[in-house]
Amino acid sequence: MNIQFKKGVLELCVLSMLLERDYYGYELVEHISKHIDISEGTIYPLLRRLKTDGFVETYLEESQEGPPRKYYTITEEGKKACDELIFEWNHFVQGVNTIIKGDRHE
Amino acid sequence: MNRKEFIETLRADLKGLPQEEIDDIIYDYEEHFRIGLSQGKFEEDIARELGDPRNIAKMYKVSSKIDEAESNPSPKNLLKAMFSAMALGFFNFIIVLGPFIVIIALLIGMYGISVGLVVGGIGSIFGTILIPFSHYHVNLGFLPVTAVSLGIGLTCLGVLLFMASLYLTKLLYRGTVKYLKWNIDTIKK
Repeated sequence: MNIQFKKGVLELCVLSMLLERDYYGYELVEHISKHIDISEGTIYPLLRRLKTDGFVETYLEESQEGPPRKYYTITEEGKKACDELIFEWNHFVQGVNTIIKGDRHE
Repeated sequence: MNRKEFIETLRADLKGLPQEEIDDIIYDYEEHFRIGLSQGKFEEDIARELGDPRNIAKMYKVSSKIDEAESNPSPKNLLKAMFSAMALGFFNFIIVLGPFIVIIALLIGMYGISVGLVVGGIGSIFGTILIPFSHYHVNLGFLPVTAVSLGIGLTCLGVLLFMASLYLTKLLYRGTVKYLKWNIDTIKK
């Protein structure tokens, strides 16, 4: 896919997944790349920035196999940012859809 | 590219970041490979899906330079962040760089004017006051009161303009950092 994705979209994907429950990196990457065509390696830098910005926190949890896994959890600030992003996204999509459907002939 | 090559390239290209941060970043990718392998994927496939480790390293480096420019404001840090962002290949910087230089030039001009106003104002005040003590008799055609008030006015104007320039400089700095942030978040496939 030859598009430039703006951060907002990926950030929105990550944050809204984390609204449901905590995920470890691989799960996030796998789920997002199943639906959106991206270089998977770009999610980790994004996660790191979200952490620097205080939107997510991480903790290690033991797993049955191998070393502990790094889990990501959303903060209150992250939830607020996510709500805003969802609102903006819906507004944007609605606008685009209105144009695509050709309401201009009314 | 297999796991080892990927990790080695990433580690080598992350050089310059704090060791602790590098280890933390590497941990994420080690974990990613480990889980991928446990799900029956091949190292080469996982590496290919992750993308070029050199680009990934650049993203981390630009990010950390921008954070540095934000938490530790200085022209040097800002330039570093801008150049590393340019190295990442944001074409739009070429378009942005022109206006940016013009704005910087305007700011420098504003500083120059404000300094000129202050110097002129102070000169006008003291020049007038000192006329009676001077050997030279310069008559500018102003009353001394006018000249002194003019001087005070000019000085105030200069100080105001200087403060405005400082404010605009801060604004420009913050704006640039914000713009850089927005740009590194543009993800190309």
